[in-house]
Amino acid sequence: MNVLEIKNLTKKFGDFIAVDNMSLAVQEGEIFGFLGSNGAGKSTTINMIAGLLQTNGGEIKILDKNIASHSKLAKMNIGIVPQDLAIYEDMTAYENVRFFAGLYGLRGAELKERVEEALVFVGLLDKQKSLPKDFSGGMKRRLNIACAIAHRPKLIIMDEPTVGIDPQSRNYILTSVRKLNEMGCTVIYTSHYMEEVEEICSRIAIMDHGKVIAEGTKEQLKAIITDTRDIWVEVKNTENLEEAALKEIKGVNSISIEENVIKINSQSEVNNLNHIIQFFISRLIEIRSLQEQAPNLETVFLTLTGRNLRD
Amino acid sequence: MKEVLWLVANSLRSIFTNKRRIFSYVLVPLLGIFIAFMAYGDTGPAKLHAGIVDLDKSTLSKNTTSFIAGLDNIKVSNVSQTTVKNKISSGTLDCAIILEPGFSKAIMNGEKPEIEIVSIKGAQVTAFIKAYLNNYIGNLHSLSTAANGDTAVFNTLYQNYKNAEFKVSAHSLKDTSKNNDMTIQTIGFLLMIMLNSAGGLSELILKEKENRTYFRLMSAPIDGKKYVLSNIIVNMVIMTIQVVVTLTAMTQVFGISAGIPFWEMTGVMMFFALVSVGLSLVITAFATSSTSASALQNLIMTPTCLLAGCFWPVEIMPKTAQKIADFLPQRWLLDTLTELQKGHTLGSLSLNLATLFAFALVFFMIAIYKFGRNNNVRSFI
Repeated sequence: MNVLEIKNLTKKFGDFIAVDNMSLAVQEGEIFGFLGSNGAGKSTTINMIAGLLQTNGGEIKILDKNIASHSKLAKMNIGIVPQDLAIYEDMTAYENVRFFAGLYGLRGAELKERVEEALVFVGLLDKQKSLPKDFSGGMKRRLNIACAIAHRPKLIIMDEPTVGIDPQSRNYILTSVRKLNEMGCTVIYTSHYMEEVEEICSRIAIMDHGKVIAEGTKEQLKAIITDTRDIWVEVKNTENLEEAALKEIKGVNSISIEENVIKINSQSEVNNLNHIIQFFISRLIEIRSLQEQAPNLETVFLTLTGRNLRD
Repeated sequence: MKEVLWLVANSLRSIFTNKRRIFSYVLVPLLGIFIAFMAYGDTGPAKLHAGIVDLDKSTLSKNTTSFIAGLDNIKVSNVSQTTVKNKISSGTLDCAIILEPGFSKAIMNGEKPEIEIVSIKGAQVTAFIKAYLNNYIGNLHSLSTAANGDTAVFNTLYQNYKNAEFKVSAHSLKDTSKNNDMTIQTIGFLLMIMLNSAGGLSELILKEKENRTYFRLMSAPIDGKKYVLSNIIVNMVIMTIQVVVTLTAMTQVFGISAGIPFWEMTGVMMFFALVSVGLSLVITAFATSSTSASALQNLIMTPTCLLAGCFWPVEIMPKTAQKIADFLPQRWLLDTLTELQKGHTLGSLSLNLATLFAFALVFFMIAIYKFGRNNNVRSFI
């Protein structure tokens, strides 16, 4: 069963097309990774799913119900963890969770139970009477999550939930995402940290210029680029490097340079390693290390979009 | 509606568990009463403070002083000629009556005696004293004419006049002008506080946008219209409290009689509460941030309150300013209250009330139109 189904979704801001005829489906029980560089259209899509933005075309279904005609039902089943903290600094942790859970119609003993459950889940029950201003960045992020899950949504959308926090809090949040998934929640997870997505997501969509340009499991995405490989060459300096000449070597698709590391994307079937080494030796460029990397999500993203995720 | 009530309850809880907010929303409006007291003094019967400079020092001049002291609502003190100017300019005295040398002799000769009345408060103070003195001196002239210049006869007639058995019973009507003025002064200040409170509460909408809590609110089963409705309800509750507390304190604690039944005045004030909320929503709809909303509020609210006569009578302003004031809701509200104090009924002031309601309606419509034109994720409606 599809928890979320998007068909031909379009959103324009004036002449700018933020989301361009996009289609996507998220199945029940998935942790679905949503990747895209800044401006790709991820946040606009999330805002439309959350009912914050009107669409200019297409449809969005939550649990097989169109959100345009079943807005309340859709919202009752969604929990949003926004990228920016959305908590009241002048309310205690308990009051924050209680307030937002109350918007979903919870009252009395049930409300109290759900609030405590959410606070236990994010490990903040002992801090329930504290104000967020006394919290660390990681604790605030956890409270941000608690506010989104107290009403037990079926679909949780997490937009960059680990931005700017310490590794310990990040691990806590990643573990929480897995736990929520085990408890039956479907999760849509966006992050700039490719390793997080690779670690926890069962399926991933890559978005670029308002369109989903690739979608599938990690393995399926990597398979898209198995005809290429990355060769990383670390050199002493790149002063004498002639990029054009390096690209002339048979099989080389593209190169990118970061400080003294040259990343060469080459066709898999062409055995050109000797030529590449010869290229550096002949130009008296000292090689410090050389390694061939198996394709990962970062490579997939770079190959498909021509940009790094953090661009 | 359940969600709206939840939002309202939460906002009110947040306001009334914060001492600073209680102070600014409930106690600050009472400052208007203190300002009125500072401007008009105590609320007891209006007493005129008159200083007598007796330069004649005759029996007649002393009796004249006693006569003035015996009048209702006048407090008399003997002062020296050198201190008169200082005491009048400092406000210690409302006026000074100077009985020049030869006062007694002039009366005995049937001539007009030299009396100087000094005041900086104009005819409203001097006319009252002059009228009584003219009457008293007129009687003395009659006695003098009857005595035909004989001092002994005059003294006998004068003693008989003083000891006359007939007694005139005088009943003073209560002077309500000061109470009315104090009421208008208090209400004028309250209007500005109401406008500021409404502005502050509507500004919360912008603050929610800025701190991103609106994102979560809007992703919950609540839409922009319900959210703004909850803000309007909170606004109206706070302003009702402000009006009721201020009017209760004014009438029951400070004893200022407004000259209008309590609930009638409260009802009229609620029309202005609607205007305040409407105006604050317009500002919120047009402002791009809470900072610009504050700036807009200051730019609109304080000058219009000054122009509309919230702090001083509109009559003392130039005619052009008075004409501008006619386009301000504060002016219509104050005018309604003034007319009610004069004895008009609410029914006869339906045009005033309709105008106030029209102000509110126009403001709400502008705000709704502007909110509706927003096409980005920061919009609500």
